[in-house]
Amino acid sequence: MQVLDDLWIRIAQWLRGVFDSFLPPWAAQLVMDVLGILLLIVWGIVVVLAFTYMERKVIARVGDRIGPNRAGPLGIFQAFADAIKMLTKEDVTPTNADRALFLAAPIVIIIPAVLLYAVLPFGRGMVGVDLSIAVVFVVAMGGIPILTMLMAGWASNNKYALLGGFRTVAQLISYEVPMVVALLTVVLLAGTMSTVGIVEAQATFPFALVTPVAFVVYMLAGLAELNRTPFDLLEADSEIVAGYFIEYSGMKFAMFFLAEYINLFMVAGMITTLFLAGWQWPILPSWLWFLIKVIVVIFLMMWIRSTIPRFRIDQMLGFAWKALVPLALVNLFVVALVAKLLEPGWARTGVLFVSNLALLAAVGFIMARQSRKREEQARAAGEAAIRRYYGSPIR
Amino acid sequence: MYGKGIAKGLWVTLKHLWGTYAKDIKKFPRRYAPGGIAKRPDYDLYGIFTLQYPEERYTMFPRFRGALMHLRNPETGEPNCTACGACERACPHGVISVEGEGKGKDRKVTAYRYDLGRCIFCRLCVESCNFNAIEMSHEYELARYKKDFILQLDDLLKIGDKYGIHKTGEAWGVTE
Repeated sequence: MQVLDDLWIRIAQWLRGVFDSFLPPWAAQLVMDVLGILLLIVWGIVVVLAFTYMERKVIARVGDRIGPNRAGPLGIFQAFADAIKMLTKEDVTPTNADRALFLAAPIVIIIPAVLLYAVLPFGRGMVGVDLSIAVVFVVAMGGIPILTMLMAGWASNNKYALLGGFRTVAQLISYEVPMVVALLTVVLLAGTMSTVGIVEAQATFPFALVTPVAFVVYMLAGLAELNRTPFDLLEADSEIVAGYFIEYSGMKFAMFFLAEYINLFMVAGMITTLFLAGWQWPILPSWLWFLIKVIVVIFLMMWIRSTIPRFRIDQMLGFAWKALVPLALVNLFVVALVAKLLEPGWARTGVLFVSNLALLAAVGFIMARQSRKREEQARAAGEAAIRRYYGSPIR
Repeated sequence: MYGKGIAKGLWVTLKHLWGTYAKDIKKFPRRYAPGGIAKRPDYDLYGIFTLQYPEERYTMFPRFRGALMHLRNPETGEPNCTACGACERACPHGVISVEGEGKGKDRKVTAYRYDLGRCIFCRLCVESCNFNAIEMSHEYELARYKKDFILQLDDLLKIGDKYGIHKTGEAWGVTE
């Protein structure tokens, strides 16, 4: 078990030994760093291949279909076939496009996506770099794609792309706020901003149990950040055709696609790290636990995607500002108060859990009452209109 | 409570997701129904109930009119056709052209061209035939890469051999 747990670290140490035998120490370190970077980039591509296949299968099964089953046994080579198709497609640049921006956007979008992997703890001692401000790094890097999507939308010289870009900015900036507040709750509880430190702080209780509210808020905001249904307003096919990447084709489109799935794994990895105790939990090797949890979270996202239809844009922004932000702020206040008053342990976890559930129930109750009131208002308005027209209500 | 509907919806989709796998496990060693299947699979609410086309095919109903085929005499193995030209005259589209040689009882078919691309599958040729020589087969996958849709006598006989019948209407259960 111990051997399996340390498997990758041991391989790294062995490789380091091999390089040390014929290289000066600084060169060996450089080679190891470059290898690590390459490994993370390759891992990003593996993630894309694996999760596009998984997504298509899950959505197909929910719709009582089989999904890809032509390319290879059980269709496992479908993603490779798609990649070859992407590579062989014609590369189009629209006339009057802002050429430099148009070419730069697909490159710029993939850089922060891959950079984020640096702070993701894949297992015990398996982290690219243990930054002391990893959480801030994640938030900062998560902000760059917003700019890139606006770049792509603006440079395409297409009104749908531009509308998609505007929606991107509105949506992603709105959802950044509850996301950061939920992150802050976790940082408050863990007492550190390093991802490794946060995982280690969850040795007894995962934070999903301690603050379910922060978990739910982060999950919803993460879905919105990933532009996944029900928050895929910025690429809503029925309204704005494809959103900001409408004019992109071939490998340039594939870059956006890659960034989307790399971000999917990253957000699922962050949820695992922040709320599901990361690589902790007994028996299985740590990296396997991490992978299992990430896959479960991604499955949850795909399940939600295949169930819930798209929001209307005003409902979506209203949900962020009127429901998620106040909820996250109140939760932050409650957690700060309880964490100040009680010592870490069973009592604190219990109080936080119960108060969080009460908070969730209260929000659910208030929102239900609001929607009922809205419904009644609409019905009353309709009846009034009928009365105006006919003189009396219709039997 | 807000979100009850969402939870209900998630439960429905989860049941569908699981239902397809449950059906796969039930059929385990073989995923698709072998050979032709007679009718649509039961569309009970859960599980995959669409026809998995290239692996599974419907068995056509007996009176289905597919491509034309030629029948053989079971004793001699020769085509039943006597090249009388009745089908050629009956055909509303001029799809068929027959050539034969010999006189009276010895008359034999030498060439038979059937233009699949223009056939409307009306079966008038079969009804005009007095020698149990032709019948409509159940072939329906007739797409070709080229416009050349003309089937020759050999092709038609090959289709007929697949069905193993020797009389017009035998596939329907009509013996006379």
